[in-house]
Amino acid sequence: MKNKTVIIKDIINSFVSIPKGLWITLVNWSIARPCVTELYPEQKRQLPQNYRGIPVLPVDPKTGKSRCIACGACARMCPEHIITVEIDKSDPKDRKPSEFSIDISRCMWCGLCTEACPVNCLVMGKDFELATYTREGMIYNLEDLMRLGGEFPAEEVVEEIAEEKKEESES
Amino acid sequence: MDQLIQLAIELVKIVVIAVVVLVFMMVAVLYMVLKLRWVIARIQSRLGPNRTGPWGVLQTVADALKLLQKEDIIPCGADKWLFTIAPALVFIPAYLVYVVIPFGRGMAPSQLAMTHSLGEIGKLPGLSIGVMYLSAISSIGVIGIVVAGWASNNKWSLLGAFRGASQLIAYEVPIILAMVVPVLVSGSMDLSAIVDKQAGGFWHWNLFQLQAGPALPIAFLMLIIAGLAEINVTPFDIMEAESELVAGFNTEYSGMKFALFFLAEFAAAFTLAAIITTLFLGGYNPPLAFLGGQLSGLAFSAVSLFWFLAKCWVLVIFIMWVRSTLPRVRVDQLMNLAWKALIPVGLVNLLLAGAYVTFWMAK
Ligand code: SF4
Ligand code: SF4
Repeated sequence: MKNKTVIIKDIINSFVSIPKGLWITLVNWSIARPCVTELYPEQKRQLPQNYRGIPVLPVDPKTGKSRCIACGACARMCPEHIITVEIDKSDPKDRKPSEFSIDISRCMWCGLCTEACPVNCLVMGKDFELATYTREGMIYNLEDLMRLGGEFPAEEVVEEIAEEKKEESES
Repeated sequence: MDQLIQLAIELVKIVVIAVVVLVFMMVAVLYMVLKLRWVIARIQSRLGPNRTGPWGVLQTVADALKLLQKEDIIPCGADKWLFTIAPALVFIPAYLVYVVIPFGRGMAPSQLAMTHSLGEIGKLPGLSIGVMYLSAISSIGVIGIVVAGWASNNKWSLLGAFRGASQLIAYEVPIILAMVVPVLVSGSMDLSAIVDKQAGGFWHWNLFQLQAGPALPIAFLMLIIAGLAEINVTPFDIMEAESELVAGFNTEYSGMKFALFFLAEFAAAFTLAAIITTLFLGGYNPPLAFLGGQLSGLAFSAVSLFWFLAKCWVLVIFIMWVRSTLPRVRVDQLMNLAWKALIPVGLVNLLLAGAYVTFWMAK
């Protein structure tokens, strides 16, 4: 059983706190608080620099080709075993992949493949709208990955990202 | 033969009025649902519906069409007959209440049904037991809710129905205690007569009448609090508490039957606003005399319709505001509020008003 003063306090409290709450929602309701909603398909969010989208193979602007040396480190590193690399053996002096595919449907965007790459040619891209109508559509081959990759980012950017990653792992 | 034609004309007129009221109710509910979603969204810093049609105004129409197309599922353990009839039991009282609501001078559907010419509008009295009719009809809805919960053969539904029954019965009492006060002061149960007593500026409204002590303002507050519980919106929505009972008594309902429950719920919110407006906020009278008070006849009826709807709309928005602000109370708190706070206060308040009317009111 509550004593009388507590009950009276409760009653006074309720007469104060309900208008207080109503005032807070009224302020929210007015123009004082802008909407936080992003109208997604029209407005896209500014992605952070180290955002991990689909892993892609950027093109070296000097040669117009990917820098991939088909070493297969990424394929071995991938926890999901979804990267397939085949070596083009036609020119022994120029190691390059004849086939390179990633089954994005099972990718978990961990980024381990990009960390394994010895020539930094596999990077996490910024694309995340990857829905297709078929399962086969989720398998990206060499051309697709190079198209999505676009131009190789300038060395400084690559280094910056690497630096950031290093700092992250150290902290 | 002449009498037969007369009868047919009467019947057609009543059907037309019924259909007009039904259409008004549906349009009002569609817009109220939309407005509710906008208001709550803005209060939560969101945008709310904005895709269907310009600014999303067609969103609820699309939702209604979706509900119409949906499969009508009857759970296998349910009592089919009761399950089907329950939405009607909830919806029909919510619809019947509109008969006495004075939308404008001489524009309560009950008055319109008696009117034979345009000149007669505003000259006929309303239903003489208006307030009693209101409270009697609106308390029938609880039967439909219990039936719905019982027939669904689902424990959430049944729990929701039990809660609904105890809540609605408990809050019926303070509502009536609050509604009786303006009836006593006005000396009439006819809603139109109560409204006409409040003509003149807003200081004539029952809410601001202090000659009976604080009786009328207290009754006004009680009617708002108990009314919110009666139409079960959020601070008192324990009978369909989503986080506890899935959806309460209508858990098993889908498609058109669910739409009927939904319609009844929002129609009840409008009814509450209409009752408060009529009894305490001057009904269809303009707040200041020059805003239409000098008109007479048909012109005044039209202006009064506007003022009535405007006041109701303000109250509906207020209900939405409260709904999106306050958290839900517990079941025991809800019962305590009714039996330990509202009813004793209401009884004392009624005594005060009664004493005023018997001893001091100018004869
Ligand atoms: S991001 Fe992870 S899962 Fe995806 S391909 Fe690279 S290593 Fe495999
Ligand atoms: S680790 Fe890099 S270089 Fe080696 S196969 Fe993969 S992408 Fe090519």
